[in-house]
Amino acid sequence: MKRITLIGLLMLLFLFPATTLAATPLETVRANVNKVLEILRDPTRKAQFAKEIKEDKIRPVFKDMFDDVELARRTLGRNWTSLNPSQQEEFVTLFRRVLENAYADKILSYKNEQVVFDRETMIATNRAEVYSRVITSSKEIPVIYRVILKDGTWRVYDVVIENVSLVQNYRSQFNEILAKNKPDNLLEILRNKVKEKKS
Amino acid sequence: MRKRWIVIYALAIILGCCLPCMAESLREKAPDTPVLSPPLQEEDKEYEDEEPIAIADPLEPFNRAMFTFNDRLYFWVLKPVAQGYKEVVPEPARVGIDRFFNNLSFPVRFVNCLLQANLKGALSELGRFTINTVWGLGGLLDPASNEDINLRPYREDFGRTLSFYGIGHGFFITWPLLGPSSLRDTFGFAGDTFLSPLSYVEPWYAGTLAKGYDKVNAVSLRIGDYESLKEAAIDPYISVRNAYLQYRAKGGGRSGLIAPPAGKDKER
Repeated sequence: MKRITLIGLLMLLFLFPATTLAATPLETVRANVNKVLEILRDPTRKAQFAKEIKEDKIRPVFKDMFDDVELARRTLGRNWTSLNPSQQEEFVTLFRRVLENAYADKILSYKNEQVVFDRETMIATNRAEVYSRVITSSKEIPVIYRVILKDGTWRVYDVVIENVSLVQNYRSQFNEILAKNKPDNLLEILRNKVKEKKS
Repeated sequence: MRKRWIVIYALAIILGCCLPCMAESLREKAPDTPVLSPPLQEEDKEYEDEEPIAIADPLEPFNRAMFTFNDRLYFWVLKPVAQGYKEVVPEPARVGIDRFFNNLSFPVRFVNCLLQANLKGALSELGRFTINTVWGLGGLLDPASNEDINLRPYREDFGRTLSFYGIGHGFFITWPLLGPSSLRDTFGFAGDTFLSPLSYVEPWYAGTLAKGYDKVNAVSLRIGDYESLKEAAIDPYISVRNAYLQYRAKGGGRSGLIAPPAGKDKER
């Protein structure tokens, strides 16, 4: 009997990494998006601090869902190497803050929107695109998640909303800035951008 | 009618003045193609597929001034008007009106599908127009998008047709009122004007008023979009310029006043 439970436990152990590997890009993104939607729709959180509570609950989901280093790195493209390691680290943190500030209110304002997942396409051996649509009362917005496989998990490194890639859009801006300025200036601009929102 | 010609001539003269500098900028950067860069290093290869699309921008100072003008116009005039309008008119009505104007511009999409030898698109558009006009109360409803019929719109326009025949953007222009555009898409816009039924409404200002109303109605459905785009941007002008290029490259309809309009519908 003991032996059987032991074998059972061992099998479970083997099973777990296998199941995480088996999750397809679409399934992974959908699971994360659904988690976020669940938090947003939670009716018990209409309290005074609902916004803060929801933000705190969503943050870990996003942390799991996005590969923020990959995302930040791609917004710099080949300029990434012109930053030294500590600058790179600060850039990733600042960029995450910029995105948080810009999109938190937008995401928290979602109420009755429906998200439909259509299909996934492999774009490289370790990268894929997940096609979805956000359906509101008046319109339908196509959203594509670009995901990359790292350590057995698919993580989002770019979001394409209505044909506009977030990473490419930021890269065009950073390219322009870095063509005329040093990496330090870029970090300074980002620091100010983060501060400006806070006050 | 005469007034419209004056506008078109004026446009042609302005563009004529721009041509020399365009020629120069064309030599610097081939339009619509990624910026050529030193050979890719091993590490850069994975970025290869998503180099940002570039456009020449010799008019940048003018464009930035116009961008600021449009920005003010949006926050001071267009947004308050659209907000007031939104308070009065319920959303389903505004969605219907948006569809109505969209249905009305069917000739633009139909002819440009044909010009691009896109028979499937032309037939789909023809079917949509017929069904939505007859059974959709003149376009207020969109029965053609129902699952049973499922005819997708093809948002083609003359700018996209020119692109189809290999004509690049030329350079970037921000027009007051009309927003982001390019040399090519400006010609495209002029071409589409001839195909838009609203251009033939007499007296001429009635058509213009109708276009303005369409604009306000459309904006009322997407208040907040431009705001968040601007909020998220480090340099809003560059962000809008890039968004316009990406949107047009993948087959989005013509730009709205500020940012590209959302299609309830996308083709391709």
